[in-house]
Amino acid sequence: MPVKTISYEELIPGYKFPPATYELSASLVSKYLKAVDSAGDGFVPPLAIAACAIAAMTGSFSPPAGTIVIHASQELEFFKLMPIGATIECHTGVAQKITRGKMSVLILELEVFDKDKEKVQSGRATIALPT
Amino acid sequence: MLTEIQEGEALNSVVKHITQEKINLYAEASGDFNPIHVDESFATTTPLGGTIAHGMLNLAYVSEMMTSAFGRSWLSEGKLRAKFKEPARPGDTLTINGKISCVEQKDDVSYANCIFECRNQKGETIVTGETIVKLSGDKE
Repeated sequence: MPVKTISYEELIPGYKFPPATYELSASLVSKYLKAVDSAGDGFVPPLAIAACAIAAMTGSFSPPAGTIVIHASQELEFFKLMPIGATIECHTGVAQKITRGKMSVLILELEVFDKDKEKVQSGRATIALPT
Repeated sequence: MLTEIQEGEALNSVVKHITQEKINLYAEASGDFNPIHVDESFATTTPLGGTIAHGMLNLAYVSEMMTSAFGRSWLSEGKLRAKFKEPARPGDTLTINGKISCVEQKDDVSYANCIFECRNQKGETIVTGETIVKLSGDKE
């Protein structure tokens, strides 16, 4: 789990989170499949990869005191199937930050690459932070 | 796998029961320990009134439905857009339904556009969205 070192105020459009690297080991995939109650099909589920990228972002910043972090929407596009044992690098950042009354909304972007720098998936997560 | 790809074709539904144990397992697997998911005493003090499942856990069930229908085409070249409408809570039974809304041709490649929704046992909509899957010319 990433260490929460980034303050919410630092999250401005254009901000890039430190890249996060994950080894998609058999044990990680097995744990994920157990959690999602699925038999699997010999590959890394693309949603497992997206989950790593999203957790790398949301786990690395501290929300403002008194707020909760709610996932409001998600877009994902898969480009490549990853074998178990592969290594991925997640590049994530802030696309938009919107404040409306007591509601803050962050639109976060993610891109995941394999060890050959080929794109594995990309996406956008909308995170709501109501106070 | 679907044997016929045509507009209006329903995808096989997926039914899943949500428990706090599954949510905790998902937190460990994904590394997402947001207290709204795993800290019951904290969650009860929030407007949500208790813990909720990760949105990405709900989407994993959608992906299971898509994988069952389209196999590797979904896993290697799928596209998804989802809105989380209501939280899924421990004790909920979720049913994910989907269907092919249209089949499109772009540059000699066929794509299936699907719509899906996830409802709980009370009929409340938890997630809605759409997916796109490449049907021909897929990578092998």
